[in-house]
Amino acid sequence: MVKWQQQIRTWVGRYFDLPSDVMLDLPRITTIGSIHAYIENHTGLLLFSDREVRLKYRDGHLSIKGKSLRIKMMLKEELLLEGTLDSIEFYPDPKKGGK
Amino acid sequence: MARNQLDFLYGLVTVRVKGVLIEAFLQACTREGAYITNVKQVSDKEVHMTIRLKDWVIYRRLRKKYRCKIHIIARHGIPFLIHRLLAKKAVLAAFLCGIGALFLLANTLWSVQIKGLPPELEATVESQLESYGVTEGKLTIGMKDPNEVQRLLLEDVPDLLWIGVKKKGTSYQLYGVMKTRQDPDETTRPADLVASKKGIIKKMFITKGRPLVSVNQFVKKGTVLATGKLKEGTSEAAKDESEEDSGKYIEAEGEVIAETWYRAEIQVPEDQQLQLTDGEKSSAYSVGIGSINIPIWGWWNTDEENVRVETSQKKWDLFGWELPIRLEVKDMYAQEDVQPENDRVKQGIVAAKRDLKQKLDEEAKVIGEKVLHEREENGKVKLILLFKVHENIAVTKYVTQGD
Repeated sequence: MVKWQQQIRTWVGRYFDLPSDVMLDLPRITTIGSIHAYIENHTGLLLFSDREVRLKYRDGHLSIKGKSLRIKMMLKEELLLEGTLDSIEFYPDPKKGGK
Repeated sequence: MARNQLDFLYGLVTVRVKGVLIEAFLQACTREGAYITNVKQVSDKEVHMTIRLKDWVIYRRLRKKYRCKIHIIARHGIPFLIHRLLAKKAVLAAFLCGIGALFLLANTLWSVQIKGLPPELEATVESQLESYGVTEGKLTIGMKDPNEVQRLLLEDVPDLLWIGVKKKGTSYQLYGVMKTRQDPDETTRPADLVASKKGIIKKMFITKGRPLVSVNQFVKKGTVLATGKLKEGTSEAAKDESEEDSGKYIEAEGEVIAETWYRAEIQVPEDQQLQLTDGEKSSAYSVGIGSINIPIWGWWNTDEENVRVETSQKKWDLFGWELPIRLEVKDMYAQEDVQPENDRVKQGIVAAKRDLKQKLDEEAKVIGEKVLHEREENGKVKLILLFKVHENIAVTKYVTQGD
């Protein structure tokens, strides 16, 4: 049922040329060079330290690594990270068949 | 930026959060609608962050559940400023007093200027204004409107033709025009013009009435110069004048300039001392209490010679009480003795002329003088002088009509 719903979503998104983050509930990450990262549509903060920030999203979690990280601003589904970013890694949850 | 300023208005709190489940706590708080900024890790299990004051309840509610400890490090924003101000009662009181004083001073009438009126009328207007409560030093709150004042003034001061009342900041500016009063009684009383002293008539201008004398005629005191009776003599009534004017007696008016004479006796001392100062002065100040005088400044000037000393005292009042302290100022003018080398006779004439002019009318002119007699006795010069003066000798003399 869940899988079927998702397929419909993907199809609708593609058909109407809608931005995929809206359609698929995936996080949108905007970075400015390596000093800022703006993450929208995450579902939870899992870990915060000055070297790594881990965020949950619908299909898994992602990890942003860097140095002297700080959260400049935090809202319900938005996060603005500041610092020196090194990498952004995604760990899709295999159970949900994440994208 | 706009958001930051708005936050400043509502108040921001920088807190230190300690606990194991910090991330979950933050997540929970943001889900409730909290707005978190500047999260910085200080150590393991401890972060610093800035939150809005109005979200404070959310944190308080959730901190137990996530077993976090919150410490407030710093407070920013208007609510805290106000709080701190309220704590300093004296400062607050002074501030309020200052605002109150400013308000009072701004609403005080500082000056009333009246223009365009002669001094007597100005005084009347001033006293009227006082009765309306419009005086210097009064509060303008509750004071009558300028238009109202204008209306009242025009009603109460009958001599005013028009008055403009304008309020300019803390001053009232009034501009008035006086009524030129027309002589109220048109039916004038019958009167003649008579000579007030003896003299030779030099110029005549009778505006009303019939002249009875001519130029270069000598008149004695009391001589009728012009009569208000338009017709000549009662016995010759209605001889050559028209019937309408017969018997009509009006008030004669006019000017009769005549040459008159004044005798003056004057004594001028032989030796005269004239002391001149050139305006340069040196002052000595001293403060006096009772009979004691304490010099404070300029005492070194006091022992100079040949000076004219003027002493003035200044006293102070405090709420109607005279203070015992007074300031004494001694002004010393350096002076020079001058021996005037003038003609005694000329001096006497000048002095006598000055005296005479004070006695005479403003329009009178002294046209000549003559030394009748000059005699020296006891170191004085005695002069008898004769002055020729051109002046108006006409005075109105009312006639009571018998019939």
